[in-house]
Amino acid sequence: MVADRLQQVFREIFGDETLTVSDTTSAADVPSWDSLVHINLVYAIENEFGIQIEDERLASFKNVGEMQAYIEERGKGG
Amino acid sequence: MPGEMPTQDNWANAQADPIVPRQHQVSGIDTAAAAADARPKKDFAGIAVSEISLRHCLDAARAHERAGDHAAALRWVFTGLDAGDDLAGWTAAAQLARRCLAQVGPLPRSAKVAVLGSYTTSQLAALLPVAAARTGVAAEVYECGYGQYQQEILDPSSGLYRFAPDVVVLAVHASEARLPAVSDDPEADVAREVARWTSLWETIATRSGARVVQHTFAVPPEVPLGHLTTRVPGSRAAMLAAVNAELGRAAADQVALVDCDRLAAEVGKRRWFDARYWNRAKQAVALDCVSILARHTAAVIGAQLGVSRKCLVLDLDNTLWGGVLGEEGLAGIALGDGPIGEAFTAFQEYILELKSKGVILAVCSKNNEADVREVFENHVNMRIKLDDIAAFSASWDDKPAQLRAIAANLGIGMDSLVFVDDNPVEREVVRQLAPGVDVIEMPADPHAYVRALAGYPYFESVALTSEDAARTAQYRARADAARAAAAATSLDDFHRDLEMVAAVVPLDDLTQPRVVQLIGKTNQFNLTGRRRGDAEVAALAADPATTVLCLRLADRFTDHGLVGVVIAVQRGTVLDIDTWLMSCRVIGRTLEDETAAVLVGEARRRGCTLLRGRYLPTAKNGLVAELYPRLGFVPADGADDPLGDAAGGTEGAAQPAGSTWVLDVATAKAPPGLMRVVDADGRSVEWQGAMT
Repeated sequence: MVADRLQQVFREIFGDETLTVSDTTSAADVPSWDSLVHINLVYAIENEFGIQIEDERLASFKNVGEMQAYIEERGKGG
Repeated sequence: MPGEMPTQDNWANAQADPIVPRQHQVSGIDTAAAAADARPKKDFAGIAVSEISLRHCLDAARAHERAGDHAAALRWVFTGLDAGDDLAGWTAAAQLARRCLAQVGPLPRSAKVAVLGSYTTSQLAALLPVAAARTGVAAEVYECGYGQYQQEILDPSSGLYRFAPDVVVLAVHASEARLPAVSDDPEADVAREVARWTSLWETIATRSGARVVQHTFAVPPEVPLGHLTTRVPGSRAAMLAAVNAELGRAAADQVALVDCDRLAAEVGKRRWFDARYWNRAKQAVALDCVSILARHTAAVIGAQLGVSRKCLVLDLDNTLWGGVLGEEGLAGIALGDGPIGEAFTAFQEYILELKSKGVILAVCSKNNEADVREVFENHVNMRIKLDDIAAFSASWDDKPAQLRAIAANLGIGMDSLVFVDDNPVEREVVRQLAPGVDVIEMPADPHAYVRALAGYPYFESVALTSEDAARTAQYRARADAARAAAAATSLDDFHRDLEMVAAVVPLDDLTQPRVVQLIGKTNQFNLTGRRRGDAEVAALAADPATTVLCLRLADRFTDHGLVGVVIAVQRGTVLDIDTWLMSCRVIGRTLEDETAAVLVGEARRRGCTLLRGRYLPTAKNGLVAELYPRLGFVPADGADDPLGDAAGGTEGAAQPAGSTWVLDVATAKAPPGLMRVVDADGRSVEWQGAMT
């Protein structure tokens, strides 16, 4: 479920309905993933899941999988 | 009394005669199903809980796009834009609209729109084309460099004037206003700030003839003086409000305002400004509010270009009064008495205010004409009278046909009409069969009608009446006088007025983290795009053949901090510029010219006769492609190329194509001198003299 919603946000922000992200996807894999897209993405993800991601955590994510795990953890009410 | 009021069930189910446009199904797509999907779902009380949503509409748009009906896809995109504000949805809508617009005929207007901002406006610039298309304007957008609105306006050779804009949007935020925290002379401070803006408007008008759309300052709700603010005209919040008001009075002819302070208040100022995103990326408008800003900016641009909507077309049963006239009779409808009746009178009163600002009113109802005319003539609580209605259509014809008759009757296009109807089925029929007509998505609850109509932004107008225009002209004469004593009119004056101080400081433990960060993330003003980590920078700095210059910049408003880095390596009598970069927040301040002068001094100190720099193009550093020639450097011969990777060089095809430039230290020209350059101890660094 989190993965589906993340995928949707990625597709919207990149404007590409065929974009598929996996656990190992990172900024290096998507050519148009620049700093502007990144900030939009972070905002859209925070908005989609109703969370605020701390700056330190944000800098620590190496790929989509790590971010997803973090969102799922937050979803448990921790 | 309660017996007279229709039950809530009536609100939801009245007029539910299903007219489903089956004949207009696009092959492969069930538009009726898409519409049904988007139709309000009712909760147990019969009140709509889910209106047409942005994502639903985008799904419908994509389905139409796949089927090749780009016009229908575009209509769904526009319906979606009205339904939601979220950044992701708008971003997707922007891309979808761009594809569809390329496939459909031209929009009624086109305009070159320049966005000049004091904060990160990239999202606004990205969303403005789709927002403008929604109003009927094909916008080509130019965005100035970060925070460089003044430089672009004051420099006659700037990218702004090369772009030749039709409209210039001044997207500014509150901390950009040059006002003290508390003023001893608020009138003078406000007048000076207003003059600064009106002077910029004037310069734009003189140099480009473009119209101006000025954003007002969203006044922050964080006020150190608390409620005392209201009693202290010299408080920053009070002065910001005064500047907003004065700008409104000063705007004339070519200038329109978007009242960001009102928009911020409407969505909530806590939502409008998100400190985390200001600190992360200098977003002065929260990213979920940028869509709102784009929508309203586009609406005002549309008004300037004459594509505002002109006519409000009103359904009657359950729209202007509660209940169905044909069932309840004149005495049975809810109007004026009781809470639901009051909701309808309030709605009528708001509609009359729209009429008084110039909106034409029309009626479009499925009823017996004589019966409904009787309500207008005889119901004591009816606020809207027959005289207020320019075109009256009540019959059993379908509403798209009635709307066509209304437009023909008034001699205006379907794209001037705005349709208001409580019945989602009628709204859907009009969307599908009367393209061009705007349909307002009305809530099920009549108490929310006024807000829904007030939230519709496309009745914007640029002036009220001729007296209004005369008053504005009068005010403008006064403003002109104030402007005579005003601020900078040339770029040089502007730079001098900033009282900039550049400090050349050494690389040390304190500066190194920032230097490494700048090397890692600076993309635009970066001559070589070389990335180096902590260890590499430390090693370079330790080499006596290497000079690392760190530049700080401050002006009388802001300390920008450490914003420039140069790494230069001595090779015999040549000083090679290995790395040269600058933060985008200080581009256009002449800091690069002064940096070059400091480098010349450094070359002299080392006994070098030549400065040599390389430009290696990357995806984002086109900004500095012409930097070296502008600073007086000349192309180097191939033999001078120590790395062998210049264009035409013989080594390695894998090397990026680049160019090498040299400057003879003996003939280097003096820098513009619009800022003071000092060393780490605050001593002035003079041109000609070597760094001490």
